[in-house]
Amino acid sequence: MDLQVRSETLYFAWRNTKLRVGLSVVLFFVALTFIGPLLTDYAPYDYVGPAAQPPSPEYWFGTTIFGQDVFTQFVMGLKATFQVGIIGGGLGTLLGILIGFTAGYRGGLVDEILNIFTNIVLVIPTLAILLIIAAYLEVRGILTESVFIGCTAWPWAARAIRAQTFSLRTREFVDLARLSGMNVWRIIMTEIAPNMMSYLLLVFILQFGGAVLIAATLDFIGLGPTNAVSLGLMMNNAVLWGALLLGMWWWFIPPGLAIMAIVGALYVTNVGLDEVFSPKLREM
Amino acid sequence: MSKRVVSVMSLFVILSLLAACAPSPTPQIVEKVVTKEVEKTVIATVEVEKKVVETVEVEKPVEVVVTATPSAEEAEVAYKRNETLYTSGAAWGPPSDWNPFITWSKANTSGTIGLVYETLFLYDPLADKMIPWLAESGTWSDANTYDLKLRQGITWSDGQPLTAADVVFTFELGKYAGIWFNPMWKWLNSATALSDYEVQFKFTNPLYQEWDNNLYNIAIVPKHLWEGRTEEEVTSGANENPIGSGAYLYETHSEDRNVWVRNENWWATKLLNLKPAPKRIVDIRFSSNNVALGAVIKGEVDLSNNFLPGIATLAEKGYVQTYFAGPPYMLSANTAVLFLNTTKKPMDDPAFRKALAFAINTPDIVNVAYANLVKAANPTGLLPSLEKYVDQDVVARLGFSYDPAKAKKILADAGYKDVNGDGFVEAPDGSAIALKVTCPFGWTDWMEAIRIIATSAQAAGINIQDETPDYGAWNTALTTGTFDMTLNNWAGMSNTPWTLYNLLFRHPIVEVMGSGNFGRYDNQQIFDLVDQLAATPSSDEAGMKAICSKIQELMLTEMPVIPLWYNGLWAQYSNLVWTNWPTEAADTPNTLPSTWSGYWQMGGLLTLTTLKPVE
Amino acid sequence: MRRYFGRKLLIYVLTFFLAVTIDWLIPRFMPGDPVQTMLSRAALHAEAREVMYGYYVRAFGLDVPLWQQYLNFWNALFHGDLGTSVYLFPQPVVKVIMRAVPYDILLLLPAILLSWFAGNHFGAIAARTRWLDNTLLPVGYILTATPYMWLGILLAWVFGIVLGIFPIAGAYSFELRPHLSGAFLASLLKHWFLPFASIFLVKFGGWAIGMRNMIIYELESDYAHYLEALGTPRKLIRKYAFRNAILPQITGLALDLGVIVAGALVTEVVFSYPGIGYLILQAIQNQDYFLIQGCFLFIIIGVLLANFAIDIAYVIVDPRTRLGMTGEGA
Repeated sequence: MDLQVRSETLYFAWRNTKLRVGLSVVLFFVALTFIGPLLTDYAPYDYVGPAAQPPSPEYWFGTTIFGQDVFTQFVMGLKATFQVGIIGGGLGTLLGILIGFTAGYRGGLVDEILNIFTNIVLVIPTLAILLIIAAYLEVRGILTESVFIGCTAWPWAARAIRAQTFSLRTREFVDLARLSGMNVWRIIMTEIAPNMMSYLLLVFILQFGGAVLIAATLDFIGLGPTNAVSLGLMMNNAVLWGALLLGMWWWFIPPGLAIMAIVGALYVTNVGLDEVFSPKLREM
Repeated sequence: MSKRVVSVMSLFVILSLLAACAPSPTPQIVEKVVTKEVEKTVIATVEVEKKVVETVEVEKPVEVVVTATPSAEEAEVAYKRNETLYTSGAAWGPPSDWNPFITWSKANTSGTIGLVYETLFLYDPLADKMIPWLAESGTWSDANTYDLKLRQGITWSDGQPLTAADVVFTFELGKYAGIWFNPMWKWLNSATALSDYEVQFKFTNPLYQEWDNNLYNIAIVPKHLWEGRTEEEVTSGANENPIGSGAYLYETHSEDRNVWVRNENWWATKLLNLKPAPKRIVDIRFSSNNVALGAVIKGEVDLSNNFLPGIATLAEKGYVQTYFAGPPYMLSANTAVLFLNTTKKPMDDPAFRKALAFAINTPDIVNVAYANLVKAANPTGLLPSLEKYVDQDVVARLGFSYDPAKAKKILADAGYKDVNGDGFVEAPDGSAIALKVTCPFGWTDWMEAIRIIATSAQAAGINIQDETPDYGAWNTALTTGTFDMTLNNWAGMSNTPWTLYNLLFRHPIVEVMGSGNFGRYDNQQIFDLVDQLAATPSSDEAGMKAICSKIQELMLTEMPVIPLWYNGLWAQYSNLVWTNWPTEAADTPNTLPSTWSGYWQMGGLLTLTTLKPVE
Repeated sequence: MRRYFGRKLLIYVLTFFLAVTIDWLIPRFMPGDPVQTMLSRAALHAEAREVMYGYYVRAFGLDVPLWQQYLNFWNALFHGDLGTSVYLFPQPVVKVIMRAVPYDILLLLPAILLSWFAGNHFGAIAARTRWLDNTLLPVGYILTATPYMWLGILLAWVFGIVLGIFPIAGAYSFELRPHLSGAFLASLLKHWFLPFASIFLVKFGGWAIGMRNMIIYELESDYAHYLEALGTPRKLIRKYAFRNAILPQITGLALDLGVIVAGALVTEVVFSYPGIGYLILQAIQNQDYFLIQGCFLFIIIGVLLANFAIDIAYVIVDPRTRLGMTGEGA
């Protein structure tokens, strides 16, 4: 990629509405994650005010049934969400790259075996596996949760990356490099990877979103972290303590809304990026 | 177009299948038992225990032949609202068996004992009185002989009379090791039917307190339907379509409900002039408090025995009714006790334990975590219904309450100092203290409570963190003694303080402490006192009080466990369909408003007989 | 085609074997002792506990060496025996699961199929209608990014509590017992609607977006431009595009089944709908390893069967597989 292509890409990126909107929403929540804790003096589980208060200038998102500050829990939960997304999504992408690249580049028996393995893991419902893993661990944290999500989320990424590698491998410039006696890793690093960078970014974004949703599910059914704050746990607590019937909407709406906004914005960003990277799609 | 028709059709097929899969209207079941050669009932206990081992391996064909005949009255498929009582809060899982001898699942079919099978006596905890029920009377003719007279005219719901033979048979089932009252046979020698309505029990070493407790907890089963069953069927059979003597009959069940229908030929209607008002009881299992709360507000459930956070506000506004009009709204059902692992440092030091008792912010637990739905416990841990056994003098001298300054002083006096300046004290030998207080994950109210315990202890300089492992891990830690400190409430309302002491000071200390003394507090003096209390006749109230006082003196000096608050006998009623619910007011019944397993025979059943339908 | 099915079958057999093995491992290596946990619910004397502990360890077949337990497990499996539930003792696991299965079929089959058909339909239309694309696209992204339980909670709150139109728990009214009548079926449908809607909506968004993007890819591809240059009617090009776009959507459906199962699980939890998802959660909460085992196995079998059905559908739709060209890999 020379300089001109790069600046052209940036130009189209800037002109793409989907990308602009998506990124702004994501960046807004990222900023909130960093700034939020500075805006509150409370700890997430401290009893700080009167119970079950609707949002007010003092308690921006209201208080829980015990008088905990929902806003504090919310911003701490955002942090957990991004942690899970980055670690879980990152690990899922990394494993996908490793397995997908190897299978796609090596081909033959290695490909066959890895492909079968990938297909097996694809079919087994991830959540069932996660439930069981979660039940094994007596005490769980955000980090362990992310790692396990990453470990089960890689198959479809591996499959997609394998297909991409497969098609790139047979391109002329790769053949040329191979003929010139480059070793395998150098070919992958210098010839194939750069051509797939944009694609890997898209994969990572989708993995990020998937990890966040799975984590929310686990947290909601009480198999998430046992010693942390997260958006899924907030919803779990809200439901367990009767927030729906007591009309405490400020307890269960923000966490779900934030997950929806973050993941939705990421998906839109993804489409935007896709359009930027593949010129054919730009017209729409 | 045709596609749409097909999909609608297939949906209908699935729906009909579903309807077909669900339990069909129960026909009258006539059980014919093909009697096999049964083991003679009088076998020494040891032999029976051996039998257990053998019977497990063998898979036996079911020996019961069931023939179905259409019931006289076509089973109703839609229940009339004004004849039906909707309850909830007893079951925590789908109904799985109706066997009165499988105790741990009885919550899910709580009516099995109480509505279907009945006990010899009822017990009224509010009046501390045994009420003769299947029995007409029971007396100790001497220290080792108990004479029981049965009521005449009681019949099983299949028409057979209930006689002394049934009672003897039921008690002798306890010789199977898998029956919960098996240990009674260590001190019970024999049960003999003197006539059709008289049973004599002979004892070697009667434990009077436990005996009384068993009298209102052992459900009598019909000999003629049970004597053909193998040991395995008795101890772990599902016993579908139970036949009992009680006020209600099993009608149907599904994953989230039990339906009981009134027994129109119930003996007590004739003999005691008691008739339960609802024709049908639908006992619902709600998956969450949320749903239960909604149902009780809308009057879809008449009596909810769920723990419903926020109910205080709703009771104040008049949406629901509770036993007390103000805090704590509920009667107290059991004591939440903090067990300390006395085999670990520094919990082996009474001074440390005592300091901790003063450090815990119980008022916050009561007022914030429970929003006044519970009451702080008496330092002795005895429930209000057993208050007469509390030695007030001992409590005044040795009792504790939330007082961080006092906690700090006790710690300082005992040599606990903050050496490294991290804000937490170190043990007198200089070692750091870092402890964990636990409860199972998902027990939301307790999770809040241990958070308060941890933070208030930290404020007093004791480094305690709260932790919520999964139930299985928590249970293993509890019973094998690897925890630091944890909450437990396994002693409920009872006729005797012995029930609580049996939980707190269960002995001997063995590898797995499955049902008490989890902290492995080893004090022979207290153990002897508890045994002495067990062997004191219930009539000897003064003797009981004297022993209790000694136990309390030791307990509050040594502080091996810390009683914190009373969990409520959660009960909220709707007056839309049924009224005259029990309350503290004089003009309403004073029976327990509970459908929990074990509470029917403590007044729950009587509550049904005093309900009135709204005109 | 034979090669295609041969490979698929191999994968299915291997998956099944692996899944069953994982399944078997569950109760053996989990923290906590299921029998101990069960007994702890009954206040037993120490001696009685010991005897009963031995009794149940044998009853659950946990007293023989591990390899033998593993073989016994396979053996029992082929006899349709999944053991006894601990949490619902003494009910056999198979019986417990069979009671839940009809509700899963009732909920999942329509939700999956209808969302797939409707999603693809709308996606295809949106791809060629500017105004629809501009509205559907954001809505679709929002829906597909919504956590299942949150949508469930919202629907329950709005329609169940605020408006009071739909019930929020159970499969049919507490005032009825199952029988064939209009009233009962109406009650069944009323309880079914919200859980169905929450799964349907989330999935609908996903399929619509997928289809829309796929069609646009196709319309921008070389062959479409070529056809256009040749003067082929746009309608026909769209038809080709749709044909090509539906193939990845079918694969997507197969890949997505596992995710939908997860979605159904939380949805059932939110609405207390008595399907397998709800059951598996209770089993986990109550450390009922045998029931977890059974539910897990059932889900695997269900997903495998569905995958197989989709494979067959794929062969019918995609002529290349029929000719022996393996359609996968690319």
